[in-house]
Amino acid sequence: MRVKTKKLIVTFATTAAVMALEQACASREELGRVIPTPQAISAGCGLAWCAPIAQEAALLRLMEEHAIAYDAMTLVDMY
Amino acid sequence: MTQQVNAIGDACPLPVVKTKKALKEMAEGTLEVLVDNQIAVQNLERLAKASACAFSFVQDAQDHFTVTLVKQAGGDEAQDAAACACGGGSTVVAVGSNHMGDGDEALGKILIKGFFFALTQLEMLPEAILFYNSGAYLTTEGSESLKDIEALSNAGVEILTCGTCLKHYGLEDKLKVGGATNMYAIVEKQMQAGRILRP
Repeated sequence: MRVKTKKLIVTFATTAAVMALEQACASREELGRVIPTPQAISAGCGLAWCAPIAQEAALLRLMEEHAIAYDAMTLVDMY
Repeated sequence: MTQQVNAIGDACPLPVVKTKKALKEMAEGTLEVLVDNQIAVQNLERLAKASACAFSFVQDAQDHFTVTLVKQAGGDEAQDAAACACGGGSTVVAVGSNHMGDGDEALGKILIKGFFFALTQLEMLPEAILFYNSGAYLTTEGSESLKDIEALSNAGVEILTCGTCLKHYGLEDKLKVGGATNMYAIVEKQMQAGRILRP
């Protein structure tokens, strides 16, 4: 049986921002991945970043290093 | 004690909805469902399979069927996987490209990744996913959608990639998930499907 777990969902104002994050994370798979923004979340961009909760600090550091601005961080139950 | 659901005259998917509700309220036991068409019987058979219930039916008249489901304790867990395939057959996804839509190809590749992720988030998964032409890149080594497609495969979705396409792109030895298939199977799967989804 499939089980949902809480994931950290980061939303952005533009598609370019989330694509930049994907490039920045190219060699760091543990930091998460691009997903379509979950329907439970409203955001300016249709793409979001999905990461394990434990990677929040590392993700924030990386976004700061690459000057990638985000809109919001939310916890969402995902498969 | 046998419980009964009367779904005579109910349009699809109501017989399945009523049956799911009744099964959910039962710890275990026998449930009789009265329906008036063969499609409803087939949908209930799928529900029974997904709910680990024993299934049988009797055709009492031309438009009267009595379906019997026997629920064992703990049979609720799989019910969400049951698909009500109005019109006969279930959902098949046909993927003919390694990107989604026309225009910016980089965006198209991100969109196709999102498409497979969104499929993994469905409560009711498709029966099969067919990959052909450059769609074959998605089931082979190096695909950024492999994890999602593997998760779908592990959840019971049949993954089939066109063998001719694998050969054309030199990917025969790189298939990582599911099996190779031929055009006859690709056509049959789509003919039997109640609905076909194309990204």
